Amino acid sequence: MTKTMTPIDCVTQVEQHFGPIVTELERVRSEVAALFEAGPVTTASLRERLEPGSLEFLRNPNLIGGGFVVAPGVLTDRRLYLVWWQGEERDFLGDADAPGTGEAIDYTRQPWYRTPERTGELTLVGPYVDFVCTDEYVMTTTMPVYVGGRMVGVAGADTLVETLETMLLPGLREAGATLVNGHGKAIVSADPQLATGSPLTTARDMIPCRGLPLSVALS
Amino acid sequence: MRVMTSRARAAIFAPIGDEGRAARVENRLAEAIRSGVLAHGERLPSEPELAQMLGVATVTAREALVALRAKGLVVTTRGRGGGSFVRAPESGDLVEDRLAAMSRVELRDRATVYLVVLTGCAEIAAERTDPDEVEDLRDLLIPLNVSDVARWRSADSELYLSVAALTQSARMTREVVRQEADFGALLRIPLNEPGFREATATRHQELVEALAAGDAVRARESVREHVAHSLERLAEIHEAVRR
Repeated sequence: MTKTMTPIDCVTQVEQHFGPIVTELERVRSEVAALFEAGPVTTASLRERLEPGSLEFLRNPNLIGGGFVVAPGVLTDRRLYLVWWQGEERDFLGDADAPGTGEAIDYTRQPWYRTPERTGELTLVGPYVDFVCTDEYVMTTTMPVYVGGRMVGVAGADTLVETLETMLLPGLREAGATLVNGHGKAIVSADPQLATGSPLTTARDMIPCRGLPLSVALS
Repeated sequence: MRVMTSRARAAIFAPIGDEGRAARVENRLAEAIRSGVLAHGERLPSEPELAQMLGVATVTAREALVALRAKGLVVTTRGRGGGSFVRAPESGDLVEDRLAAMSRVELRDRATVYLVVLTGCAEIAAERTDPDEVEDLRDLLIPLNVSDVARWRSADSELYLSVAALTQSARMTREVVRQEADFGALLRIPLNEPGFREATATRHQELVEALAAGDAVRARESVREHVAHSLERLAEIHEAVRR
């Protein structure tokens, strides 16, 4: 423990958090694909299929929630549905209603849904305030799931920005570094004046994290 | 300030008494019906049972039921199999009922909180929003030829929620969620008027452009105008339902 954290160590720490998330999303993807390939899917059969594995994965306290969100019209009994568990008690979400109107929020416009739909790839959205699921300041990882060439939804998991700060700031401080998202915005920084969500104004050397749209910037 | 404080204290420590009990019973049941805890068609306990459960006199329970019937939240049938049944309100009725139950003072009071919170969000969001986030907002704008009022209402709500989220503050966003649930539904009543929709669409556009330009003053002004105009129309509607 005498060794100080280097920027490379910070990259490793980031990968140790997000790597297992990616593995889990791949697992959910194959579960969901198998279920849809076997015939018509209902809200109940989807939840039943995913619940044990997802709750097991969500024993990781560094996650605020996760699950699978359906594409409109793929379930036989509901147009929109979030097979999603979140919060300390891992409460089941199911529907997300808009405040005031009480209507279901059409989450298909949210970047965490739309981006993987457009790119077909693993997506990391945030930091942003999520008012559909958690009502928290989060980073959301999502992965599209395809069955017969059609997207049936996205598998995903949320991490609180606060969790990332607690987890990564000590190391970043020692390394004098900043964790940066794919849009060049700070997530957690050794610099106390560099607020989460602000763009890095000066050009810096960046070390990319493997398989993730994240980098560690040196000061 | 001292006068205000002592007056407020006096109100808090005034004896509660029996008066207003029927109103409290009525409010509790009305809330349960409106929130769906008591489902449409569900049979309510009889007056004596209700009175016993709630620890009030039978006459108080009866008074509350009469009021609920007047509001259309309960239907009573006579004879065999008769009784009082829950009648779930239409969402439109519910909002108008709330408006009708509100004084002018309360309307202004709530509108002021809504205005301050939402204009503040627009101002902060303008300083923090980047181009791709603005693109996401543009997708929330709906074409003028859409006449589905429910769609207008949800798009309007979602736009302001999204602006709140752009402050990057979860607490602020949750506050706006609360404001939307509390007052947003009332402010959106006038969206059933085509002329108001047209004005709304213009201001939505202005707001998004101001955010795109990072212009905090214009963003703020656009929300302010929107709330002011909504309130102007709402005051007219309020006058009509209260009269």
